[in-house]
Amino acid sequence: MNKTLMLGVAAAALVFAAPASAELKFKPGEDARFHWDNFEDLKKLDLKGETLSIFGPWRGEDEALVRSMLAYFIEATGVTINYSSSENYEQQIVIDTQAGSPPNIAVLPQPGLLQDLASKGLLSPLGDETAAFVKDNYGAGQSWVDLGTYKDKDGTEKFFAFPYKADLKSLVWYVPENFEEAGYKVPETWEDMQALTDRIVADGGVPWCIGLGSGGATGWPATDWVEDIMLRTQPREVYEKWTRNEIPFTDPAVVNALQIFADIATKDTYVDGGKAAVAATDFRDSPKGLFGLPPKCYLHKQASFISSFFPEGTELGVDADFFYLPPMASKPELGKPVLGAGTLFAITKDSKAARAFIDFLKMPLAHEVWMAQSGLLTPLKTVNQDAYANEALKKQGEILVNASTFGFDGSDLMPGKIGAGAFWTGMIDLVGGKPAAEVAGEIQKSWDAIK
Amino acid sequence: MAAQLFSAVFVIIVGVGGCVAYFWGANKLVDLVFPARGVTGAAAIDSLRRQGLVRPWLFIGPALLILSVYLIYPVVETVRLSFLDRSGDAFVGLANYSWAFGDREFRISILNNLLWLAVVPATCTFLGLVIAVLTDKIWWGTLAKSLIFLPLAISFVGASVIWKFIYEYRGEGQTQIGILNAIVTGLGGDPQVWISIPFWNNFFLMAILIWIQTGFAMVILSSALRGIPEETLEAAVIDGANPFQIFWKIMIPQIRGTIAVVWTTITILVLKVFDIVLTMTNGQWNSQVLANLMFDWMFRGGGDFGRGATIAIIIMIAVLPIMVWNIRQANRETGGH
Repeated sequence: MNKTLMLGVAAAALVFAAPASAELKFKPGEDARFHWDNFEDLKKLDLKGETLSIFGPWRGEDEALVRSMLAYFIEATGVTINYSSSENYEQQIVIDTQAGSPPNIAVLPQPGLLQDLASKGLLSPLGDETAAFVKDNYGAGQSWVDLGTYKDKDGTEKFFAFPYKADLKSLVWYVPENFEEAGYKVPETWEDMQALTDRIVADGGVPWCIGLGSGGATGWPATDWVEDIMLRTQPREVYEKWTRNEIPFTDPAVVNALQIFADIATKDTYVDGGKAAVAATDFRDSPKGLFGLPPKCYLHKQASFISSFFPEGTELGVDADFFYLPPMASKPELGKPVLGAGTLFAITKDSKAARAFIDFLKMPLAHEVWMAQSGLLTPLKTVNQDAYANEALKKQGEILVNASTFGFDGSDLMPGKIGAGAFWTGMIDLVGGKPAAEVAGEIQKSWDAIK
Repeated sequence: MAAQLFSAVFVIIVGVGGCVAYFWGANKLVDLVFPARGVTGAAAIDSLRRQGLVRPWLFIGPALLILSVYLIYPVVETVRLSFLDRSGDAFVGLANYSWAFGDREFRISILNNLLWLAVVPATCTFLGLVIAVLTDKIWWGTLAKSLIFLPLAISFVGASVIWKFIYEYRGEGQTQIGILNAIVTGLGGDPQVWISIPFWNNFFLMAILIWIQTGFAMVILSSALRGIPEETLEAAVIDGANPFQIFWKIMIPQIRGTIAVVWTTITILVLKVFDIVLTMTNGQWNSQVLANLMFDWMFRGGGDFGRGATIAIIIMIAVLPIMVWNIRQANRETGGH
């Protein structure tokens, strides 16, 4: 074995992140749906020989998608990008940044974790200009700016994280054919939805499919329910105070939201399989009831990603469709709140290429090449909405762009011990029959313990 | 895959080769610096004495160096961190320790760990011993031993994945793909969500570790049984002892030391158990254990280094006495050599 070969092997063993290959999915200039002028602007940047390491949450199919987007940046600027991920990326990023070997850019779906990294002085601010860009060009812009704004080491608030790629959670899925046969209409208000629920029961059917199972993360789908209800019963300020624990979990506003959810999930006649099945059914298997013959349930509330778990060959818009989880008619002042999540890009090791990459994310093209495939929704208003791969995605994208307020997934905003711990566990207890006030007390106790 | 395999082989060759080269080279060097051959008697004796002084240090040196970098320094650092706040900046005294003993989750973890300690080492040792004795008596004993020994080669996470399929739950009326639920429903019962039944789920998780570790206990105890002099057994048979008496009164006393070593080794492993809980339940449904709790506090939601370190120290303090006793036992077994 000669020396260079040995070194090569050693290097290959050390670097698991293979450089992203530059295979362009859509040929520049060919498809009129894309902003190819962005691509020309990128080419003007001189970044030859620069290397950029990006650490993100996407693995498997999602990794192929993100690489297809990165390819355009690589192709145009000549930067070498090393994208890597890890099954436990939240822990990995903490370890890497603490150990002094951070990537250039860290992509995380948890603002709470980013806040933590920022307060330890491990992130570089992106500047007011970028914050202003997000405020002006994103649907519910201010909500997004607030999401990326954290206190730094000295306690000064700065804009640290650029939002790119969003998920939409305020969706209720249904099978149009089943609705037609039974003569049901898509409800416009929460009250209508409640009436529909009762009508389905009266007709001898089961209204809801709810599944909270997710291995060690069991319980999280219920947190989305509670957050959506919070946004529909309380103003955004209250919602945000709740995620920061400025109002306690035991506050009547929160207990009320827990109760509304419990009233649906713990009623044997309301949920497929009865209340015992709610905590036990895996969230990925849960929507299958919609497609049963006869249908095991008519409604399923879940984020936009769930369509990947529908039976093989399900055509969105035909075999399955969704409607926006309706607001309460009794609270018109709350407008059309949207609950969602998203990934945020933060610079953990500053470099010219890292800055250029954040600027690339401001370009519609960076969004469009992913929109045209699947899995990316964006609140950026400057993109061409026709770039979405299908009507269903376009419909979801429009909900985001037109949102009056965007409520970020509350459990992701809370400290990890709560949002990815006590809150989940509390939800399991809640559907298990524990009174809402007691559950709220338990979660609040855990929160008091980490202060 | 090929690259990883290649690098694994490469590392093994370099590692083993490097060790051999170092010890052989160090040895040669000592002989060269203090020549004992071809010199007069007094000088030779002097050289030999010096060789005797230097050689042990050369041989023990690398181990000492690696131990201090990878064990002693981290321990000292962890102790230091356990007196600091969440980001490791400000001194908070014993606040982390007083938090730990007042925290509900910590108490659940301690209790669960004690439950694990009570069940797993005992069950593994008992099963291992029984299997070791019984497999000696049958013609297909070697095959049986190999089968029981196999799980030891599987990583904890791998084993957890296998057992996830055993405990898998599907809603009532659906086909149960989990073996356990398939059996239960086959017998006319209702399917259960095994890993989320509070308290009992601990035992379902323990089953995984028992499944892995029984093979270890069996192999060690089996060789200890072989070491029992035939004469004592023959004498017992002649004196009219029945098989049970032979087992309890003749065999067990003679391998008591080995049983203790096996027991304590598994005990230490149980105190560190983490991967099984992380993969199966992540500490939900009151199945939390100390090591997973430590991981939670250290790396979840940005981490609280002080509390994570505190839990690590508590685990270490719990392991220490067992470890000391284990080493003493092992030393006594080998006659102190």
